[in-house]
Amino acid sequence: MKRSAVWFAAVYFATMAVAITFPGIRPFNTIQPYIFGIPFVFAWVLAWVGGSLVVFLFLYRAYHK
Amino acid sequence: MTSWQIVVLVVAVYLVANLVIGLLPASRSTDTVAGYVAGDREFGTLVMYFVTGASVFSAFAFLGGPGWAFSRGAAAFYILGYGVLGMAPYFALGPWAARLGRKHGYVTQGAMLAHRFQNRWVGFTAGIISVIAIIPYVALQMRGAGIVLEQVTDGHVPLPLGAALTYGIVLIYVWRSGVMGIGWTNVFQGVLMIGIAWAFGLYIPYKLYGGIGPMFEQIAAAQPAMLTAPGLDAAGNPWTPVAYSSAVLVSSIGLMMWPHLFMKAFAAKDDATIRRTIMLFPTFQLFLLPLFLVGFAGILYSSSPVDPDAIMPHIMLTVGLPPIVVGIFCAGALAASMSTGDALVHGAASIAVTDVYSATRGDALSQHDQRRLIRWLAVAVGVVAYALALPSGLSLVGMLLGAYGAIVQLAPPVYAAFLWRRATATGVIAGLLVGISTVGLLILRPEWKPFGLHEGLVGLAANIITLAVVSMASRPPARDHVSDWMATSRNEG
Repeated sequence: MKRSAVWFAAVYFATMAVAITFPGIRPFNTIQPYIFGIPFVFAWVLAWVGGSLVVFLFLYRAYHK
Repeated sequence: MTSWQIVVLVVAVYLVANLVIGLLPASRSTDTVAGYVAGDREFGTLVMYFVTGASVFSAFAFLGGPGWAFSRGAAAFYILGYGVLGMAPYFALGPWAARLGRKHGYVTQGAMLAHRFQNRWVGFTAGIISVIAIIPYVALQMRGAGIVLEQVTDGHVPLPLGAALTYGIVLIYVWRSGVMGIGWTNVFQGVLMIGIAWAFGLYIPYKLYGGIGPMFEQIAAAQPAMLTAPGLDAAGNPWTPVAYSSAVLVSSIGLMMWPHLFMKAFAAKDDATIRRTIMLFPTFQLFLLPLFLVGFAGILYSSSPVDPDAIMPHIMLTVGLPPIVVGIFCAGALAASMSTGDALVHGAASIAVTDVYSATRGDALSQHDQRRLIRWLAVAVGVVAYALALPSGLSLVGMLLGAYGAIVQLAPPVYAAFLWRRATATGVIAGLLVGISTVGLLILRPEWKPFGLHEGLVGLAANIITLAVVSMASRPPARDHVSDWMATSRNEG
């Protein structure tokens, strides 16, 4: 359980590092479509930050009840 | 009462509240170094959450974040991206360091490294680098506080007075209460920062453009380059993808190496507290969204300030808000500055005594005397930073960028300590010196930077290679000591 949670988190953050920097960000680097009025690439970076909350929660639960 | 007097009144209430909250816990810690620097290792989740969040986000984020969005557009997204990436490794490192701290009594990163590598000069070198990197960072926080107060009072409270007032209060509560004062004031300051950022960030686009969507549509029509990465550079030309990406990387690796952040692991009550703090950190981080919205709102605003970092106070002052609201905004900006500045002053003084002074003099001082020396050094750090904060000719932001390049050099020793048994003291010191020299050289000669990479990243590569090669060439460390040390860090209790 712990091991798989750590792997999952490691893969998430490695993917995030690629997805929010060049060249990984390129396919998502557009203004449209707007997400709740926010340009797409801005929402893209925000979504990775928001997603990390879920990943951390999962990781935390693997260590502490 | 004129409007600037109302603003001053609101700010005065805020400052007095800080002083009271900062002084209350003065008697709650023991008369030891661990009491003054690590709060007797008793911090719970509430305090840890706000200490971490409010110490990470300084006046640089609160004023500079909107400033970047306003003048450089999507370049600001790098600030949004690196926070959680930088925090993630601490989920492992934090508890590892904390367990060792409980067993061996460390309160600083330098003490931890000195013990792991059985060499006080490792702590000394890390300590000197930390103190030199921290002082311009404190100066920048003071200057930020002074500028905001000068602007919102129409120059009635000039920069030197504003900086002296706010940091005078910081020094009083740091002197009396140590890290306990920092902890509880940061809870207050953190709530204020987050609340004010969200309130203004959602209100300003609505007030100026009728909503967030219409605002971005207008910017997209007028200046589309502002809305896609990598945005613009400081001169208004397109920023390069390499510079953007290496800024994200250096900041991610360097973030938790800042001593005032790393050493909070030694203040946490238990492992669960550290992990819960990291888990909740993204909720703090998301307050950059409203701050960026204010910055973006400035792009098509009718007037603009001389200094882009002043865009937030500029909009607050010209959009027709009542003075009491301007005062509350000002309190939020001061909170952002003070909540980072206090931890920095306290961290630098603690490091100067436990790592630098003790390495040269041994442990001759009693706990009580060390604690007293840390207090006096906190005042000294404040005075030196104040002297740097006043002259406007000095480029503090330039100094801070150099500081980040320096701090990121602490990453190889910290990771090597936990992950590579064969790393030696000689290797670590050689790596640090080569890394720092490389950064210094590239700051003086920016045209030598390969592919336009951040100088911190180049220094990091030189540092890692040197650490590895010199370690392999030097005598292996004592096997038993390293095994013990590693086992303690990994012991899940």
